[in-house]
Amino acid sequence: MKKKVFSILIIALLLLVSCAKKDASQPSDEVRIGVAQDFDSLDPHHMTAAGTKEILFNVFEGLVKPTPEGEIVPAVASSVEKSEDGLTYTFTLRDGVRFHDGMDVSVNDVLYSFRRRMDGKDSAAKLASLSVIESIEANGNRIVIRLSRPSNEFLAAVMNVYIIPQNCTDIESYPVGTGPYMFKSRTFQHSLELVRFDEYWGKPGKTEKFVFRILESPDALVLALQSGAVDIVAHLSSDQTKQLDSDQFNILTGSMNLVQALYINNAEKPFDNVLVRKAMCHAVDRKAVIDLAFDGYGIILGTSMFPSFAKYYVDELTDYYEYNPQKAKDLLAQAGYPNGFSMTITVPSNYTPHVNAATVIAEMLREVGINASIQLVDWGTWLDQVYTKRNYQTTVTGVSSDNMTARKLLERFGTTTGNNFTNYSNKDYDRILAQALAEPDDAVQTQLYKALERNLTENAANVYIQDMADLVAVRKNVSGIVFYPLYVLDISTICREK
Amino acid sequence: MKIILRLLLTMLLVSFLTFAAFEAVSGDPVRTMLGTEATEEQAQALRSELGLDRPFIQRYFHWVSGVFTGNLGISYSYRQSVSLLLGSKALVSLALCMLSFAMIVLISIPLGLASYKYSGRILDVVRSIVNQVCMAVPPFFTGILFSWIFGIGLKLFIPGSSPGFVHLFFAALCIAIPRIAMTVRLLRSTVVSEMNKAYVRTAISRGNDRSAVLRKHVLKNSLVSVISFLGQTLAELVGATIVVEQVMGIPGLGRFLVSSILHRDYPVNQAIVLILSFWVVLSGVIADLVNSAIDPRIKLSGEGRQL
Repeated sequence: MKKKVFSILIIALLLLVSCAKKDASQPSDEVRIGVAQDFDSLDPHHMTAAGTKEILFNVFEGLVKPTPEGEIVPAVASSVEKSEDGLTYTFTLRDGVRFHDGMDVSVNDVLYSFRRRMDGKDSAAKLASLSVIESIEANGNRIVIRLSRPSNEFLAAVMNVYIIPQNCTDIESYPVGTGPYMFKSRTFQHSLELVRFDEYWGKPGKTEKFVFRILESPDALVLALQSGAVDIVAHLSSDQTKQLDSDQFNILTGSMNLVQALYINNAEKPFDNVLVRKAMCHAVDRKAVIDLAFDGYGIILGTSMFPSFAKYYVDELTDYYEYNPQKAKDLLAQAGYPNGFSMTITVPSNYTPHVNAATVIAEMLREVGINASIQLVDWGTWLDQVYTKRNYQTTVTGVSSDNMTARKLLERFGTTTGNNFTNYSNKDYDRILAQALAEPDDAVQTQLYKALERNLTENAANVYIQDMADLVAVRKNVSGIVFYPLYVLDISTICREK
Repeated sequence: MKIILRLLLTMLLVSFLTFAAFEAVSGDPVRTMLGTEATEEQAQALRSELGLDRPFIQRYFHWVSGVFTGNLGISYSYRQSVSLLLGSKALVSLALCMLSFAMIVLISIPLGLASYKYSGRILDVVRSIVNQVCMAVPPFFTGILFSWIFGIGLKLFIPGSSPGFVHLFFAALCIAIPRIAMTVRLLRSTVVSEMNKAYVRTAISRGNDRSAVLRKHVLKNSLVSVISFLGQTLAELVGATIVVEQVMGIPGLGRFLVSSILHRDYPVNQAIVLILSFWVVLSGVIADLVNSAIDPRIKLSGEGRQL
């Protein structure tokens, strides 16, 4: 009896060892990337998660597309002409652009894609930035778009209108685009596979196949890197990168291109008093926040703009409020709060970097007598209570621009703007903003945007902290990662050295 | 018949409670779906498309009638049919549960008996320390530890790759270890108290071999409480799989459950809760059935055991 049991155990153990894979070596023409969240909709006109847009950037293209330098260049269109009054754009369709299903791209596909995004029909999400379009029509192989008013941001909006075939029936399950990589398969909550599209009109991708592995726990991501299951993971924390062997991995540092700040509900008491807000700006040592919570990675900011938008960035605003607790106390006394006050920082608990920053900030505010407590909420609650209903005092979050325009970052502080979740309201700001949005001349508009940034800083709209660092772990034999001033991961240049 | 009725009622009640719970927590599924860029107009349109503008009770009955016709609805975040989404995930979780349950039964019962049989002062001390440690380690910790030792160190499986059998095996072991320890302790103490009973003394005094008595009579009597405990364990296993699936990167129901709550994906969440409550009720019923097969004195009736 005992012998039997023993031998069964031995056999089971042998079986176990024999079915185990011997090593983690991978075919040279495949690169695996770990991602921290599942993809939402694969319909390019419907996806909302930043992590989905980041990757499907490789599958879909608009008439124009961004470069790593932040320029907008022709893609599905071969050229773009803008009329002198800035009201008419003429796009010439590029010859020989094909969809992943082998069909040629026609002007009708382009018209369909634009109309789908303009009207929000066929379950697409309406793109508000297209409301400036007055008419769109085809003329031979050209698409002529007329605008109701000149708009310097129009091309950036076109960039986000991904071209899909007009006769696609189930784009959700079988996404078809024109990009360098095409969709192969997807397993929910597990993986996504993309393969190279060999008929791509532009520079072909360097690697045959990419597998994206979804690993939602931070420990699992690190384990997957260590075990060789994945080669690249982006958006890591400095804690995670510290666990990786530097002989095996390179850690690349880019920036997240977002404005992390202690955003303040400007309509709430006592934050409606500019002296209180200024006091808070003086009370927070931004360098210490970055050192303590981010191991020193990050770029200090002083307004709602980050350095990768070099054209709009105003460097001198960064040090407008120096760290000075005494001055903060004086300002609080002047505002009528000599003994400080109590406040709440509402933070989405799934964003560890924001939670960590909030923890450090709360300590600093306590130093000057402001008793800040932290309330953790989940993302759904945050969106509902803080972002939509504006039912909060302060929050730490990151605000980004998904189309490389300053407008996305600055328009939200206009008094009547729909997504002005900080309730910032300033007459000068509204006036300059209206001017800026209507200004056809790019140089003048840039100056106006800079004036807006200055206004935000001078009135201490929020306690600006930093543009967070984007830490990317890459296996030593993999190269070709290029950073964009956008939240995208271009896989076409990534390859494994033979 | 009574059992089926009880099962249905429990599931209805649980599903109603989760439905109501989502009604109470803040967070708008439409806002979560549309992200930060959406306008109120868009949100409103989507809300009426999904039927979220209807009153709560109406939505609940709509959902329940859907379930009875085999339609679990469409996932908000994926825009796919829920049954399609969950089918394969449920199998993965079920496999994980069954595997760890098999480990618990196959390891703990012989081990429990052996620990009684080979007791001695030092052995007892060692056993009780090992037992305490095993009970105390949470599965998520063993999950990380095993990924390190057996995955990265011994390369038996690759943490983070598509899970194969070996991967599942170690995940199941993480879940099983604390429960094996509990079962061993329970069985041992039941055997000890059973051995002091009069019928055992009689059997031994009539010249029966001690270990034969243990095997033939005592084990059977001790098993009743162990099986009830195992039934409970079977129900609890699903909870443990949720954690281990996250840590070891296994695409089962657990990860879906967590993400569906975070994304306010009600249809997916309701379906998973339905599956889990079915599982919990079922494990109670199975324990009852097994017990009455072992000991016919335990009658299988509606009020036989509390669920």
